[in-house]
Amino acid sequence: MSFQDWLKDNSKIVLFDGAFGTELIKRGLEPGKVPDILNIENPESIVEIHKSYYDAGSDMCQTNTFGSTPLNLRRHNLEDQIQEIIENALNNIKKVCPTGRLIVGDIGPTGEFRPPVGNASSEEWYSSFKMQSKLLDKGVNLYHVETISDLEEILAAIRAIKEVSNKPIIASITYKKTKRGFFTIMGDSLEKCIKALESEKVDVIGANCTLGSRDMLDLVKQAIEMTNIPISAKPNAGQPRIEGLQTFYDQPIEEYVRDIQEMIKLGVKVVGGCCGTSPKTINEIRKIIDKI
Amino acid sequence: MAQEQIFKNMVDSIVNLDEEKAIDLANKAIKENMNLVDVVEKGYAAGIRRVGELWEEGEYFLPELMRGAQIMQNCLDLIIPYLKKGSEEVSKGIVVLATIEGDIHSIGKTIVGTMLRAYGYEVYDLGADVPAEKIVDIAIEKNANIIGVSALLTTTMFGQKKIIEILKERNMHDRFKVIFGGAPVTKSWVTECNADGFAENAIDAVKLVRSLLNK
Repeated sequence: MSFQDWLKDNSKIVLFDGAFGTELIKRGLEPGKVPDILNIENPESIVEIHKSYYDAGSDMCQTNTFGSTPLNLRRHNLEDQIQEIIENALNNIKKVCPTGRLIVGDIGPTGEFRPPVGNASSEEWYSSFKMQSKLLDKGVNLYHVETISDLEEILAAIRAIKEVSNKPIIASITYKKTKRGFFTIMGDSLEKCIKALESEKVDVIGANCTLGSRDMLDLVKQAIEMTNIPISAKPNAGQPRIEGLQTFYDQPIEEYVRDIQEMIKLGVKVVGGCCGTSPKTINEIRKIIDKI
Repeated sequence: MAQEQIFKNMVDSIVNLDEEKAIDLANKAIKENMNLVDVVEKGYAAGIRRVGELWEEGEYFLPELMRGAQIMQNCLDLIIPYLKKGSEEVSKGIVVLATIEGDIHSIGKTIVGTMLRAYGYEVYDLGADVPAEKIVDIAIEKNANIIGVSALLTTTMFGQKKIIEILKERNMHDRFKVIFGGAPVTKSWVTECNADGFAENAIDAVKLVRSLLNK
């Protein structure tokens, strides 16, 4: 089965994976370390996390390449290692991806903003994403562009992927909730973003991170009225709380899973988790999907 | 034109992101020997505070906030040399701000810097991904009253604690007030690190600095 087959199958709810970063922290990720370099330095942990999500029932998991763009790696003096990082990331996930499940190429923000916030240009974004997707393409079934807070940046990413690949794209923006509705921090409304992503002919329109499951449910209710393109949702498990040297996410799994269930009822096609979710969260969602 | 109207025009020029008008009004204020402390406080700073409120209310977004801050800074750059010629005390205190090493999130910290400037503090914003030692060195060099350290990642916030440890090692903890910012920071983290406070947003940061410095 391909991702396109899943999209055509009306009864199929696609279960994505959950958080990667918070799972790495549990395994002692050092402060300030770029998680992507662990593909080379600590592949055992990366493989273990991917495996834990596939074992929990994820239909597809994403590569540990959230920050593997030249623009982002440059800030950590790792730009020269981009090829090695991505090749290792692909090997790490391939080792544990069961037959019939999929590998998703993960593409996160470059971390560079356009003026007046920063100095990045659409051309820089485009060439950075193009390099990343070119290296990812041989080992992935589809792409997830995620946690992007600028519509212009996600459009650059989509165009770059399409330049090097015909594989499906899930395009997930991160929104903040305001009194006037959901907006990116750059000021683009949910509706404007959805219309723009529709014009780019992405395969799935998504939202992830920033919002907890309750606010994400509100967003999904609105989004589903705005488009016929399938919707993906990967909310956070509430907000982080730090005690000593540990991070906790206090939202009860049952509450999170209940909100995901509501999203599925509304017609959301792809569900999963962002910061604070774990293989346990994903496994609870698996149980619900299997009952449908 | 009545002074109050001029101040209002300055506020409007910042809120409407009209740089030409803002600069024009600043030049006129200098030429006409207006009280420049009032010009900064009742004009431009009031303007950026309004922009900050609009950001909090979800009416304005990052581009408006950053553009407003740039225009205000350009006006202050014109005004400050004239202010320093007078004997009036301009700065209410010196603040050194930075996002800690390993963390590139700079937006929240930049907004805090802008708001502190708007409220009359002298701010040295060292940017993002700054080693703890460097932050302390610059705080000493600038004779700062406050060191503000931001961390947005749970993986980098431990660098905030390092600042306090360095100050203790150098026997300088009493010389500075150290405050934290960033989404993962909580009261218990501040207590554990023996820091002087934290703020959840830019407005709270101003209140915190004001209460710590008592002005």
